[in-house]
Amino acid sequence: MKRKTFKMIALAFFALVVALCAARPGRAADPKNPYPTSMAPLDQYLMDRNDEISLARSAAPPSISKDATVMVLGRHGYETAIEGTNGFVCNVDRSWMDQFENSPEFWNPKRRGPVCYNPQAARTVLPILFLRTKSALAGKSKAEMNEAMKAAIEKGELPAVEPGGMAYMLSKQGFLNSRCGNCAPHLMFYVPVKDAHTWGAGALGSDFPVLLSPHFNGAPEPVTEFIVPVSEWSDGTSADSGDHAH
Amino acid sequence: MSTSRHPIEQEELMAYLDGELPADHATEALSHLELCPECQALAADFRGVSQELMAWEVEAPEVGIPSEIDAALGERLQKRETAKVSSPRLKNRVMTSRWVWAGALAIVCVAVGLKLTLTSRNRNQDRSTAYPSMASIEQYLMPDRDAEIALARSAAPQAISSDAKILVLRWRGYETAIKGTNGFVCMVERSWMSPFNSAEFWNPKVRVPMCFNPAAARSILPLTINRTQMVLAGLSKAQMIDSIKAGFDNKELPAPEPGAMCYMMSRAGYLNDALGHYVPHLMFYFPLTDKSSWGADLPDSPVTLNPQFRDGPEPITEFVIPVGKWSDGTAAPVM
Repeated sequence: MKRKTFKMIALAFFALVVALCAARPGRAADPKNPYPTSMAPLDQYLMDRNDEISLARSAAPPSISKDATVMVLGRHGYETAIEGTNGFVCNVDRSWMDQFENSPEFWNPKRRGPVCYNPQAARTVLPILFLRTKSALAGKSKAEMNEAMKAAIEKGELPAVEPGGMAYMLSKQGFLNSRCGNCAPHLMFYVPVKDAHTWGAGALGSDFPVLLSPHFNGAPEPVTEFIVPVSEWSDGTSADSGDHAH
Repeated sequence: MSTSRHPIEQEELMAYLDGELPADHATEALSHLELCPECQALAADFRGVSQELMAWEVEAPEVGIPSEIDAALGERLQKRETAKVSSPRLKNRVMTSRWVWAGALAIVCVAVGLKLTLTSRNRNQDRSTAYPSMASIEQYLMPDRDAEIALARSAAPQAISSDAKILVLRWRGYETAIKGTNGFVCMVERSWMSPFNSAEFWNPKVRVPMCFNPAAARSILPLTINRTQMVLAGLSKAQMIDSIKAGFDNKELPAPEPGAMCYMMSRAGYLNDALGHYVPHLMFYFPLTDKSSWGADLPDSPVTLNPQFRDGPEPITEFVIPVGKWSDGTAAPVM
């Protein structure tokens, strides 16, 4: 009797563990991939509002970010925390702005990518962030998000990239991915995907002054993102290395 | 140099040339330098002084020391060595000797300083009128065609310039030296691509290697070709300005295409007397655009507005972003 009871308790405990593991979203299924394979609980992606404002602003020198609109991630998407006056918009990107393919950190809740978009990019690149975030918060999987973006592009819901669209990513406090942490300070430039080969850009990790970002580039967003590493963080301190890898 | 006319002090100019000025102030200095003949002359002098000091070495005697003097010196040195051990007045003598040396050094410094000041003053007067008009065409040409091709290619990393079209300047204008395959065009600009009010507009030493991307090759390069044709035809500055304005009015000259940019990463270039080869950078072209849209020229911003076309007849806004390496992959000084 005792033996049977013990077996029952052990079985129940095992079932509970299995059930808890199954119910916990974002748990990594692949031991080789330490990052969540689906969205982690939303709270893990959220930040203290003031901290997020400060982090967003750190993407660009204060001379730019102090007059920028600042957006923060809330439970229902990005919302305006501070109205700006210079046309720039600063926010903190989350992991779902990574490329859809070959992106083990697509759901990494630690990712914090401070960005300040110039007015042209704010009008035409920021909508990509809003749409992806909407899908993520709606509980869509990576594949479903990809399909949603494709559908939005086909319906013309995303604006064409505007000439001169660019962004600052000079934050020393950001965390872009586990490989390079805050990586290196850099500027980003946006062109239509048809012009992907017109800047002489090299692959990430190469010695080229212009690097081709793996983000977007027709998969599915019809935007090519170029990266130009620069020598200083937004606070004016020197960066140790010009290398950059997203 | 008064700060009412010049936003930078002489000391700050020296700091700028040494790459020690903060980025925001460096931007201001650069913008002012481009348009101020007096400061350009001063900067050139500072560079000259630096180079002279770097190159300064004590010359070896032209003839050998006669053996008698050599022997006498050896004997005297030997006595001195002995005295070092035995003489109680050694310390005083050494101190006296140090004071004599210090005095001599001070006199030399004052003399050198006076000479440099006088030289600088003379050069200032010379430079402000050093390039008053076009020199002979030969002085702008590079007699060695291969050298010009190599210089043009040095504007961008080899991966880009090796497949680019190369233009070289000849008597009748720019000619294609090598046909490219990747849409980039590399060439060496001359001084007349400076602002029309630049003191070095006719400086024949200027050699500016550039590699335009396809969009810039179609829409910015024609401006270089156009100015060059007018220069070689002997037009005055006023005539050129009128012609360029008319060219844009009647659409004969193109507006910058979206995505127009170019590489300027040559360590062998010579932008002008004040800047030398400057720092490696990229340039981006737009129709007249408010510089605030890129955050240019703001404190700590890595983006600056290039004065090349500012207030000129070409309705173009040009942004500059320094990069960390020259085209050969070697590290460059941080601006």
